[in-house]
Parts: sequence; structure tokens; C-alpha cells
Amino acid sequence: MEFSLLGAVFVAVIPLYLVIYWEAKRGNAASCARSLWDVALAAMVAGIFVGRLAAMIGDGVNPLQNPADILIVRGGVATGPATIAALATVAWLGRTEVLAYADGLAAAALAGLGGWHAGCVVRESCLGTPSDLPWAVAQGGSSITRHPVEIYAAIALFIAAGALAFWRARGRPRPGVPAASALLIAAFVRLLTEPMRPSLGTGQRWWYAAGIAVAIVALVVSMRRGDQPDQPASDTR
Amino acid sequence: MTEVPGIGIGLLAYTRRMRLLLLAIALMSALAACGGSDVDISDVPELAAISGDELIAQLTESNEPVVVNVWASWCVPCRSEAPLLERAARQSSVRFIGLNVRDDQQGARSFIAEFFPNAPIEHYMDTSGDIPVELGGTRGVPLTFFFAPGGELIKLHTGVIDERTLALQIDEIAGA
Repeated sequence: MEFSLLGAVFVAVIPLYLVIYWEAKRGNAASCARSLWDVALAAMVAGIFVGRLAAMIGDGVNPLQNPADILIVRGGVATGPATIAALATVAWLGRTEVLAYADGLAAAALAGLGGWHAGCVVRESCLGTPSDLPWAVAQGGSSITRHPVEIYAAIALFIAAGALAFWRARGRPRPGVPAASALLIAAFVRLLTEPMRPSLGTGQRWWYAAGIAVAIVALVVSMRRGDQPDQPASDTR
Repeated sequence: MTEVPGIGIGLLAYTRRMRLLLLAIALMSALAACGGSDVDISDVPELAAISGDELIAQLTESNEPVVVNVWASWCVPCRSEAPLLERAARQSSVRFIGLNVRDDQQGARSFIAEFFPNAPIEHYMDTSGDIPVELGGTRGVPLTFFFAPGGELIKLHTGVIDERTLALQIDEIAGA
């Protein structure tokens, strides 16, 4: 059995949990009836499931005829449909307080995504296209040095997650702005690093570009709305 | 303030959800049963048997990089990675060899007809399943070997391979 994927998921979940825990101490999403951790896990599971189904259908494999294949997550998960499913799950679970949930999970989601990229160390899949830069690394037994592209993405996402959490703690942005910013940052980091990833021509660039466009629209709408920023609450979750 | 439903209402909602879940499972099972997976294997030639020495000789004499994928028709993860390998074989310039292990002609040809109908992959059969071990691997499937020109093993990937890893290792052996 090969457990590196499970190890990478574990590396992703730790920062996700830590940021939720850290923000909860500061009254993050205190008005929400559900635990942000539960919502985050539900969104992850829904995203992986739908992303896997989409990847199978995209590859011409009928999920109804091959239901066991759904469990082979390593076979591929389509990022775009997975993201849509995860966001839809947050919206469904959040219902009337969807912005509070989305904002509450924004920094944690970036940290979790950063952890997922950092999990490349466990999966031995950090390397990208060849590079002569001083920090480029070669895989064992090879002389070809390459961009540690997943580490680039992990660093960028961790920094963004920290900045967003700090901003929420100090700046009290308008409702919806943190969530839209997180989507914008995630899509932008992926789009920026994508050319450095080895690919067989099925790059997700259009999905990332669409994510940026949606995030910009959401950001503008959120900033133009008259809602007041969330008041920090005294109780913690 | 969120209203907390009484036990009776909660139980009713739970039963309703369970019914919906069972209905969904029954519907999926029915659809899965209706969708036949019979494929026409008349166009797929019988797989040639190969020995470990013969395959190693092929790899040693090869002037181009070679990807050897070990698969079986009964292997669920092999089904999962097959579309990716098919796409890679079409797109990349390296040579692809499929090594079917511990299988029968009927199963292997059905698998090829379903997943690799026109892919430029040379398939061989190893009913004993010993060749992957001779190449430096294990008896598990799927396995993917990456050989540089001349037959040097650059990388062995165990389990289902993903697109990034496949693209990276093809790039490695192509540049080796």
C-alpha cells in the first residue's frame, strides 16, 4: 500500500485546523451556528468527491459502471469542479450566514491549500520544469535541476493566509471581502505557478483564470455593499 | 435563534433522509447494472508472451526512453490510471510498453479495447507476474518503470500514477 497521499492530506489539514483554532480564539464567525471545522471538512469531502467524479467523466470512465474507481483519488481530481463543490457546500451549510462562514474559512482555506502544496514533500512531487536558478533542485540520481514549484506555491499561500488572518483580526474588512480575496489569491497563485508544473497538456489555466474573474466580481460587489464589518464577538468557538 | 426540533420531528427527518439515501443507492445500482461494459475485442490482437530476458534485451537495445507500465484487467487502480497513460502515450515522444501480468487473454484484450483502443502502446503478457520483480519492482500492480535510452532504470513508481509525476518522469528520461 502507498500512503503518501494520505500523508499529504494530513500535512494539509494541520494548518487548516491551526488557523481555524487561532481565529476562533479571536471570535471568528462567532455568530455561526455550526463549527467552522465541520464545515471545512464537509467542503473538503464534497470537493474531493465531485472533483473525482468530474475527472473520471473527463477521462471517459463511467462512474456508475466503475463505482470503485471513485475511491482511487490518486487517479485524479478535477480542481475546478472540486472548488465549485466545496464552495457550494459552504454556501449550503451556511445558508443565511454564508458570508460569515466563507469569511471565517478564508484564511484557513488558504493555509490548508498551502499545506496541500507543502505535502509534496511527502508525495515526492515538488519538482517542476527545469531551471538553473541557485535554489533549483534535482531528484535523486538525476542531474536535471528543477523549480521546486509546489514549495513556491506553499510559501505564497502560507504568507497570504497569515496576512489575511492578521487583516481580519485588525482591519475588520467588509463581509465577503476576505472570502473573495482568498479565492483571488488561491487562483492567482495556481495560475502563476502553473507554467512551472510538468503537464501532459491538461493544464487548468482556464479554471484559474475563471476563478480570478469570479473573485474580482465578488470582491467589487462585497466592497460596494453597505454591510458593516463583523463585530468581534466576546465568546469563542 | 435557531429552533431545536423535538425528538419526533428529528426522527422523522432522519427516516426521510435514510429513505432518500437508500433510494439514491438503489437508483445508482440499477443504472450501473443497466450500463453494459461489453466491449468488442475482435480488433485487438492477442497479446504476445514475453520473458524477463527478452524485455530487458529490448530495453537495453532501445535508443529511446521507455515507459513500462505493469497492469492487469482485474486491477481497479489500473483502470483509474489507464486514461492518463493512454493520453501520455499519444502525446509524448517516448516509447510505451504495457506489461499485462497474471491475467488471461480475454480480460487483457477487453481492457485494451476499453482503455487503449488506438494508443501507441506495445502490450505484452506475463502470466507468471515475475518480470516486474526481475526489472527491479514488486509483484503489486500497477507499477510504472521509467527507463533511459540503453535501459537504465531512472525511476520506479508504485501504485496509481498521477499526471504531474508521469509528466515529470517522462521529462526526466527524455532528458537523460
